Amino acid sequence: MKLLIENNKKINILLFITLMIVFIFLPFFLSGYWIRVFTTIFMYAVIAQGMNIMYGYMGYLPFGNVMFFGIGAYIAAIGMNRGLPFLAVLPLAALTAIFLSILFGIPVLKIRGHYFAIATIGINGAIMGVVQNTTEITGGAMGTTLPIIDKPPAVTYGYFYFAMLALMIIATLLLYLVINSKLGYGIRSIKANEEAANSMGINTIYHKVTAWAISALFVSIAGALYAYWMSFIGPTEVFSTVVAVKVIVIMLIGGAGTILGPIIGSFIVSMLSEVVWSSFLEYHLGVLGIAMIAILFFAPKGIVGTMDDFIKNRGLRLRKKVSV
Amino acid sequence: MSLQILINSILLGGIYALMGIGFSLQWGISGIINLSYGAMVILGAYISLECFNLFQIDPFVSMIISGAILFVIGAIVYRGLLQPLLAGGIIFTLILTFGVRLIVENIILKVWSPNYRNIRPAYIGSTIQVGDTYIPLTKLIVFFIAAVVIYLTYLFMMKTKTGKGIQAVALDKEGAQAVGIDVEKMYLINFAVGTALAGLTGSLWASVYNFSPHLINSITGKVFIVAVLGGLGNIWGAAVGGLFLGIAEAVGLLLFGAEWQEAVGLGIMVGVLIWRPYGLIGQKFFG
Repeated sequence: MKLLIENNKKINILLFITLMIVFIFLPFFLSGYWIRVFTTIFMYAVIAQGMNIMYGYMGYLPFGNVMFFGIGAYIAAIGMNRGLPFLAVLPLAALTAIFLSILFGIPVLKIRGHYFAIATIGINGAIMGVVQNTTEITGGAMGTTLPIIDKPPAVTYGYFYFAMLALMIIATLLLYLVINSKLGYGIRSIKANEEAANSMGINTIYHKVTAWAISALFVSIAGALYAYWMSFIGPTEVFSTVVAVKVIVIMLIGGAGTILGPIIGSFIVSMLSEVVWSSFLEYHLGVLGIAMIAILFFAPKGIVGTMDDFIKNRGLRLRKKVSV
Repeated sequence: MSLQILINSILLGGIYALMGIGFSLQWGISGIINLSYGAMVILGAYISLECFNLFQIDPFVSMIISGAILFVIGAIVYRGLLQPLLAGGIIFTLILTFGVRLIVENIILKVWSPNYRNIRPAYIGSTIQVGDTYIPLTKLIVFFIAAVVIYLTYLFMMKTKTGKGIQAVALDKEGAQAVGIDVEKMYLINFAVGTALAGLTGSLWASVYNFSPHLINSITGKVFIVAVLGGLGNIWGAAVGGLFLGIAEAVGLLLFGAEWQEAVGLGIMVGVLIWRPYGLIGQKFFG
C-alpha cells in the first residue's frame, strides 16, 4: 500500500474520495458515542498533519507542537467568554497561533535535531505555565468553560463531526497543494540536506518558519473547535505531553512523509485508545504504554510499511519457489 | 535577596543537580532522551517509603537500595527495550521511554494511589540556626549527600576503568571499539547509572518533600532544564545547572510569584538552547 500511495496517484485519490464519501454518510448510521470517536479521529488526524509537514516533510520534530492546540483552544475560550461568536474567534485563534509560530520560529528554528524538539517542549511548558497563572483571563489551573450550544446533543455532535471532517479534508488538501508547490520543494529539500539547500540559495529560514506557520494554522483551528466542542478546557489537557506523544505515534504508524499517513495512523491509534480506555480503565496507562512499545517492535515502519514488506516478501517467496 | 532564601534555593539546587546528572548522562552519552526519568525518580521515592514503613529503614540508608534497584531496572530497560531500537532514532526513543513512563506511572498509581506521601523520620523537625537563618537539618544532610554522590559519580567517570571506558565511547565510538572497549556494555552501564541516580535522588527527595505520581511531569521538566543548562553529559555542568535552577526559581518566586517558577525555568532552558546550546559553562565536549 505504501508503494501504491507513493506512486499511484489515481488509486490514492480514489481511496481518499471513497473514504470521504463514507465519512459523510457515516454519522447517520452511528450512535452518539461513535460519532464522538470519529470526530476525535479527524481531530487527531489534523494535528498529525501539522506534525507531518514539520517532521515528515521537513525533518524537524516539534515535540511541543501541541502548544498551538492549547493556544487555539484558549483564544476561542477567551474570545467567546467575552461575547464573540465562534466564527469570529476561529480566525483570531489561527492568527494568534501563526503569529506565535513566527515569533518563536525565527529564533528557535535555528536549532537542530534533539535540541529543537526539546526547545519546543520548553516553550509549550512555559506557555502552559503562563495560562495556568493568568487566572483572571484564562481561569488558571481550574480551566475555563465556553458557551454551551443551545441544541440537542445529537445535533451538536453532528455539527462537530462535520466540522472536524471538513477541517481534516481541507488540511489534507492544503498539505497536498503546499507539498507539490515551490514552497513544498523548498521544505522537502531542507529534510534532504539543509546545508545543500542553503548553498543553492533556498531561504531556509523562510521555508522553516512558513512550514511551522502552516502547522500552527491546522493545529490551532483544531484546538479552537475542540474547546467549543467540549465546552470546558483545562491547561494540562490542551497543552498535554500525552497528546504530543500520541501524535508522534500516529505519524509513525501511519507513515510520516505521506499525505494520507496521518489519517490512517489516527484511525489506528484512536481505535486503540478507545479499546484500551474502555477495557482497562485502571490499567489503561500501562496498557497504552505496552501497546506503544509493542508497535515499535512489531510495526516500526507503521502499519502501511509493514504490510508493504509483507506483500513484497510474499512475492519474493513465491518467485523463489517458481525459479527452482 | 535574603540569606535565608539563598540558602534554601542552594539546598534545593543540590537535589536538582543530582537528578539532572543521571538524565544528562543518558542524553549526552547515549543520545537517549529518557522521558521515563521522572517516573524513575518517583519510583525511588516510593521504594524508600516502603523501606521506611515496613522495615523502619532511614531514607538516607534506603537510598542505596533505591539506587541499586533502579540500576537493575535501568539495565533491563536499556538492554531489553532501548538497545534493540536505537536505530530508530529520536522518534523511537521518545515513544519508547514515554511508554515505559506510562507503565511505571500506572504501577505506582495502582500500588500506592495518587495521594501525596511523605517519610517522616524522628529527627525531621530539627533545624540548625546560623545567625538569622534557619537551616532544616534534613535538607542540609540531603545537600551534603547530593554533593558527595556527585563527586563519587565524577570519580567513577574519571578514575575507574569503566568510567573512562564510557568517556572513551562518548568521545569516539569507533576509536573505543578499535582499542577493544565493549561499547554496548559501556552504554548499558551508563544508562543504568543514570536511572540509579534517579532512584537515589527520589529517596533523597522523599526525605524532605512530599511526593506523588503528580510530580512526574514537573520533575521531568526540571531534569531537562538542568541537563541543558549544564551541557549534555557534563557532570559538573549539571551540578552548576542544578544550583542555577534552584536560585533561578527562587528569584522567579520573588519577582513573579510562586506559580511562575516552571515558566521561568523553561524559559531559561529555551534561551540557553538558542544562544548557548552547549550549556552555560560547557564547551563542545560530547557534541
